[in-house]
Formats: sequence, structure tokens, C-alpha cells
Amino acid sequence: ENSPAPLPERAIYGFALFLGSWFGFMLYLIWAYIPETWLFSLGLTYWPQKYWAVALPAYLLVAVGIGYILLFGINMMSTAPLNSTHTITDNYAKKQQQKKFQEEAIPALRDIPISEVNRMFFLPEK
Amino acid sequence: AMEERPYRSASGAPIALRCRQHSASCRELAVRCPRLQLRSLSAVTSAVWLAAYGLFAVSENSMVLSAAIFTTLIGLIIYLHFVKVDQESLLVIGSLGIQVTSSYASGKESTTFIEMSQVKDVVINEAIHMQKVIYYLCILLQDPGDPQGVSEVVPLFQSSKPRLDCLIEVYKSCQEILEQRKTAPQSS
Repeated sequence: ENSPAPLPERAIYGFALFLGSWFGFMLYLIWAYIPETWLFSLGLTYWPQKYWAVALPAYLLVAVGIGYILLFGINMMSTAPLNSTHTITDNYAKKQQQKKFQEEAIPALRDIPISEVNRMFFLPEK
Repeated sequence: AMEERPYRSASGAPIALRCRQHSASCRELAVRCPRLQLRSLSAVTSAVWLAAYGLFAVSENSMVLSAAIFTTLIGLIIYLHFVKVDQESLLVIGSLGIQVTSSYASGKESTTFIEMSQVKDVVINEAIHMQKVIYYLCILLQDPGDPQGVSEVVPLFQSSKPRLDCLIEVYKSCQEILEQRKTAPQSS
């Protein structure tokens, strides 16, 4: 039911979006370039100031640029500091249940405590 | 017995690990950080003074020059006293606890002592730090309510940041002493 295959409804949505975006772009160009007096003579008087035809794209570009830096900063802020217990364990690991060991079966998946991992890696067994 | 071996820090600077065994259950491990380089000090000083001279040439205010000299001196003193670590050492005493000492370039020493009953384990942990993944040694403190739980993580050697080979040496030394408290649990 959720395949990405093309369907007739999707084609219609796509075409409607295409026409809508072209219409919106033409409207924006008309608003930005045609002098106010010509628009008034046609009877179209209640349109926003032309200042916004330049201001809105400028705002948008600055927001995109700030967004890069903001995302980077948010990532750095959410990284756990070196002295937090989140680098070692979390709620799921604390509440995990020990499953019984069955012979000849693959052991159940579990979080191994860091002390055990360290001993296995760094202390060679004699 | 005392020996000093050269290693590298995480950023590539040369550091030295000195391991001293005072007795069977007492060991001192000290990591010496690279000294303040004369060329970086003179580079920073000349950059600041050139900028101040440029500002003076633009603004014709001689206070800029004296402010730059003052800033450089105060900045250097603050850096040596609060930031630049000369040596970080770990003293592990089997029945007593672990003492962590940081000596700064100005001579200041700051120590922290952790009782052995609070120490759960000393492990090498890996974590993300400033767009890199680094290995660092840390002391896990026991959670009083939960025998398997960790209440706090105390990272060690934060300024020298030794690489994994140095950390493995320190880890093995610490584990030899920590294992003794399991095999010989005598009341002190």
C-alpha cells in the first residue's frame, strides 16, 4: 500500500503543484516589476508594499545561512559532555532483564557493562 | 622503580608518562604535557602588538598601545595560572583511594581525592569531543543505592589527552591495584 510507484493520483497532484508554482512565480514577478500606477489603473489596489518583494527573499536567504550554523550549534550542545553517565549507559540498559542462558542457542542481545568490555579488550587473558 | 616513556597526545603533541611504584599497593602515574612553546608565545604577542599598532596608526590614540601591553601581560598570567597544565598525575593507593593532581605552569596544584569505597572501576571510555571521537580514562563512581549503577563519571588527563597506547598502560597499572581489593577485602 505504501509503495513509491507512480499512480494516476500522484501524477495529478504533481501537475497541480507544477501549475500552482508557476502561477505563484508569475504573480510574484507581476507584483515586483509592474509599476503601481498600472496596477491601480487595472483596479488592483490592495497589494502589499513592493518593499517586501526584495525583503522576503533576503530574509529567507539569511535564515538559511543562519540555519546551517544553528544546526551545527544545536548538535554540539546536545552532545553529552565527557563527564556524563550518558556516555556509558542509558535507561534501556539500566532496566534490561537478564535472559536465561540456553545451551546451543545464540545468547540474547544485551548491553555489556563497560568494565567487562574494557577487561576483554585491554587485559590479555593468560 | 621509576621509568619515563614518550607517547603522543590526541592532537599529536609529545607527552611523557612516568610510572612510579611506591609499594605493592601504591602506584603513581604522571603524564607530563608539552611545555609552552616560545614560538607560539612570540607569534601571539607579535600579532596582538601589530594589531594594536595598526589601531594606533588609525586612531592616533596612544592608550591603545599601553592597553595592548597590559592585555598581553594579564592574558599570559591568566593563561599560565588557570589554563596551561604542566603535569597531570594519578596516585592510586590500594586500600585508601585515588588522588588526581593537576599542576599548572604557574606552579599551582589542584588535587581531588576519591575514596576507594566510592570507586567502582577505572575504565577507558570513548566519547565524541569536538567533532572527534577520543579515548579517555575515567573513574566510575559507585551509586550507593544500586550496586550495578554508576553515579558519576570523572574524566582523567583532560589537558594532556593521551592516546590509546598510553591509556592502556595506565589502565593495566590501575587494574592491578584495583583487583587487590577484591582478593583481599580486609577491614582497614
